[in-house]
Amino acid sequence: MYFCPIRNRFLHPASQPTTSIAREQPPPPVRQLSSATVVRRREPRNIVTIPQNQSANEALKRIEALLETIVDAISVGGPIVIPYRRSTNAQTLNQDASVENSRDGRYMDSVRFPGRNPQELRRFEALFRIIEISHEALLSGTLITKRNIYYQNMELFKSQSVVDEMVDNLAFTLGLGRSDLNIVATAKGLIAGQMKLIMRGGTIINCTGSSDSGVLLPSINAVEKVNFQSVKWLLVIEKDATFRTLSASRYYDVSRAGKGILVTGKGYPDLATRKFLAAIHAARPRLPMWALVDFDPHGISILRTYQYGSQRLNHEENTKLPRLRWLGIRSADVILQTISTPDRSANNQQSQPSQDLSSQESIALSVNVSQDERPAKRPRTRRMRSHQSDCTAPLTEADREKAISLLQDICTTARPDNMAKEHKLELQKMLMLNVKAEIQAVDDFGDITNWLDERVLSQSRHQIPPD
Amino acid sequence: MSKQYLTLHTVDQAHPTEIFSLAPTSTSLISASGSSHLLIHSTTTSSSFPLSQTLSNAHRLGCHHLATSRSGPGNTFASVGFGGETKIWRRSPDTDKWSHYWTLPTPTSKTEKGDVWAVSLSQDEGYLACTTSDGRIHVWDLEGRAKVQTYETGASAGGGNNSGNGGGNGVGTGSFAMAVDLSRDGKFTASGHENGGVYVFNNDAGRMVFSLSGLAKPIRTLSFSPGCRRLAAAGNAGIIAIYDMQHGEHVANLVPTGSRPAWITSIDWNDTGEYLLSGSLDGKVRVWDVAKGVCVATHSETESAIWSVKWLPKSEKTLAPGMGKGEMFVAAGANRSLTFYREATGS
Repeated sequence: MYFCPIRNRFLHPASQPTTSIAREQPPPPVRQLSSATVVRRREPRNIVTIPQNQSANEALKRIEALLETIVDAISVGGPIVIPYRRSTNAQTLNQDASVENSRDGRYMDSVRFPGRNPQELRRFEALFRIIEISHEALLSGTLITKRNIYYQNMELFKSQSVVDEMVDNLAFTLGLGRSDLNIVATAKGLIAGQMKLIMRGGTIINCTGSSDSGVLLPSINAVEKVNFQSVKWLLVIEKDATFRTLSASRYYDVSRAGKGILVTGKGYPDLATRKFLAAIHAARPRLPMWALVDFDPHGISILRTYQYGSQRLNHEENTKLPRLRWLGIRSADVILQTISTPDRSANNQQSQPSQDLSSQESIALSVNVSQDERPAKRPRTRRMRSHQSDCTAPLTEADREKAISLLQDICTTARPDNMAKEHKLELQKMLMLNVKAEIQAVDDFGDITNWLDERVLSQSRHQIPPD
Repeated sequence: MSKQYLTLHTVDQAHPTEIFSLAPTSTSLISASGSSHLLIHSTTTSSSFPLSQTLSNAHRLGCHHLATSRSGPGNTFASVGFGGETKIWRRSPDTDKWSHYWTLPTPTSKTEKGDVWAVSLSQDEGYLACTTSDGRIHVWDLEGRAKVQTYETGASAGGGNNSGNGGGNGVGTGSFAMAVDLSRDGKFTASGHENGGVYVFNNDAGRMVFSLSGLAKPIRTLSFSPGCRRLAAAGNAGIIAIYDMQHGEHVANLVPTGSRPAWITSIDWNDTGEYLLSGSLDGKVRVWDVAKGVCVATHSETESAIWSVKWLPKSEKTLAPGMGKGEMFVAAGANRSLTFYREATGS
């Protein structure tokens, strides 16, 4: 194998005495995974095996049990009942509502054949088809995308969202995750950095990538091992555009904070991206993970989706990143901007009337009282002026509503943790300032690397692990 | 020529999170923060400004605006939470304790915005002016518990928003009203807006009398002088504009030294009308001599944002020893503490 042979020699020297010392050292975090411990002897420690999906057999068992009951029902000639519950209604659904709405076939906990109405017949057919596809995929050990399911029978499914919803609800009903059914979403997330993914088929994905735009994130189920090489950090970026800029400038190589990995979920992250990151985190719990999002209600909402998972897919496991830390941007960055870089229009506005007035009014105007005050240093902040106003904007009414609804979510949580408290304060300050800012607000003519370097380094220095 | 103010006392970490608003009565100071509690500190009994009451769970999402009447009886105050709800609190003169009196009803119709942002209480504590995100100002009669007046500042308002800097607002809706003040004589209501507009309404006639421009950037705070002849407005422009209320003229600007003034979050006129107090996001608290148009004192005890500054009204009660005879003011913000200042006597 060609994975860092030199480094490997340093870590596992051949001579006897050092080996014994090495054995006495506290086990690296990698060892928390039992499967990783097994392979560790032969492989350098920067290669970590991603644990096999344990529930795959369980999923197959449950699907087959389901199919069996269907076959039984057919042989007897009785009605076929497939249990089916909606993940979204799970918390709010009460008994009355389910009875009330069961007539139109929307809020019931099963799908029957023969159906009670034509809609149910169609639903039965669609659901049965998905179960069948999932069964095949589980048997053959392949992954199938939701998009692919839809294309297999567009007539039946009508729209992609029908498939998406049914797959998630089926997983929820069976008490499994979507990927346990070997059904995945088409990859949306991108990754770039000094990392190699060894796939179950044996192919190797090199994340330094063929192009500037990074590599599409594979489903974590298809990844057998991850070679972390010498990465020191992982940065999750809200925006595709920022990701591409950083990827193109090979920030993962040239950062002053060491080598790293860049990931983007392109806005609200999909399940595959979150599962991938959760698996990376489980494999390398000590690898610092940062998030870079816009200072607006959606930025904080996206951050919270990474950290706490989404409400609709709350039944999915291993999707949360409670140790993902918020690198920026926050109100402090915006406030700093308000002090250091007012735009030119304001200066013109204020200087003109004051000159006119001072000549005619009895009230003397304060022209700078202390003349000795030297002009403040204005290094690169001055250049930022030209585009600074484009990057901060007043909140719209929709923004304010979104911010308030997020605040409400946080405040209804029984015991908000430190992360949630921080989100709350930043949302309050956002409302007070009535300003939002995009990631570009902190960059220097499109170059955000200086800001990132400073931020990552300073945050790594005082690592305060969140609760 | 400068004046000296000394730090009299600091109530450290008074709130668990950033303090967004302060409101004084003649005997106490009410403070609100991102937490759900409101705190009331006594301002006359001791120079340590002891906590006299905690109003628990007043605003679940935190509270951003408070309003008292500076020279009124001191029996009423209003608080606005981040959820948009407005609560009125009353003090029992016997027990000196505050309790919840009324919550303003929020309109159910979709067309009318019910969210309240800034508030101002009339001098007699009978009326409350509330601003909304669509640029309206509602005036409520607190005794009758009814809305008595609505001022529009949108395109539909006559002679209103013609300064040409409305930040992309739709037709019919005004720019977000971020600040409001009622004059002490009850004659005027003034509102400050996100688009930089300042509007003055005559309460007797129930119509707009002045549409004032001059700052072009969001207005965050407004204050009528005690004699009601001047209006001061400030915000993102970082300077304070002074308007004359007889003719609606922009008569002066107060400009801080240095080339890049920070956003001003709060201004307050002292009881004699000679001095203006200002607080800004760079942590500076300034006292301005309005007649001379100069800054006479700058305090920068903190580098973190100041959200609110207020003069303490002259009290008829004798102050506790050590509190001096001079005027006092208080500042609070991101550092979560209440910092009290007093005038250095003999200067």
